[in-house]
Amino acid sequence: MAKPSIWVIIPAYNEEPVLADVISELQDYDCSYHLVVIDDGSSDNTAKIARKFPVHLLVHPMNLGQGAALATGIEYALRQKADIVVTFDGDGQMQPADIGLLVDTLIKEDLDVVLGSRYLTKRAEGMPATRNLVLRTATIMTILTTGLKITDTHNGIRAFKAKALSKIKLTQNRMAYASEILSEIARNRLTYREIPVSIRYTEYSKRKGQSNLNAINILFDLFSRGGQ
Amino acid sequence: MITIKIILIAILLIILRAFLVQKSLVLVKRAIGVLMFTGLLFLVVFPDVSTWIANKVGILRGADLLFYFAHLFFLLVAVALWRRLITLNAAVTRLAREIAIRDAERPQERAEQIRTAEN
Repeated sequence: MAKPSIWVIIPAYNEEPVLADVISELQDYDCSYHLVVIDDGSSDNTAKIARKFPVHLLVHPMNLGQGAALATGIEYALRQKADIVVTFDGDGQMQPADIGLLVDTLIKEDLDVVLGSRYLTKRAEGMPATRNLVLRTATIMTILTTGLKITDTHNGIRAFKAKALSKIKLTQNRMAYASEILSEIARNRLTYREIPVSIRYTEYSKRKGQSNLNAINILFDLFSRGGQ
Repeated sequence: MITIKIILIAILLIILRAFLVQKSLVLVKRAIGVLMFTGLLFLVVFPDVSTWIANKVGILRGADLLFYFAHLFFLLVAVALWRRLITLNAAVTRLAREIAIRDAERPQERAEQIRTAEN
């Protein structure tokens, strides 16, 4: 098989301070990746930073949420005939080298989806205890509702085969999309595996990331799915 | 008693007019609207009727009956608006997505732009 085209989707909302580093690190790691930055209606210079790099830049005319930004990037990558699509956060929490691990596992084990997990080893650097509790609770809820054997439900680094991805329908614009991806994996009976990845909890990412209280919003979004 | 009746009737008629001037409204909705307003006008003019109905369904005062129904009605309106909002949200998202994809800046095109600008 020819080398598959790998598309990395990077949703970015007001990531001006770190986006350049995130993109450079990705390019340094593997310059064959097609990088897609989705500027989710940022009010800072996120798009301007992205334009300095050879990336595909998509700009939402307004802020819609990370789920919507990912869905836009995914749709774009699929239309560009991507073979493999990877989701990657724009806030510098993730390590490009983990993409290689995910993609290798995806190809070697012929899976539909490979998910990153913070919990398979003790590699989450400096995670606050309260965040740990919220994420563990979310994980238990997901196991109960989808039956998937998952250790980390809200990890943003994932690799999908294009064929599998086209079956996944994302309707959640905000953070609840993470649970939605999992329920879609379960519904379509996609083959999956989790592998350990490392997440860097930097001061920036902690300040920028989700507040623990947002877990309540996520729950509400999930329960109100019926209307869509 | 007369004063409040006049005020209420005037307000109801104003709302009814605002409701009926919408040209997009289908006939069935118009009919239901007119019927509802007629009922309300009737209750304003003959308030004792509401007490009579209330007694029939086991409520003491007509005002209480109206209070309960008003609550239920607004709850219904809230749910209907909320559903509408979800649909609208989904439509806006689709629209924004299509715009973003249509206007996508590709790396090759940007490289060419930079080259043209330099020349």
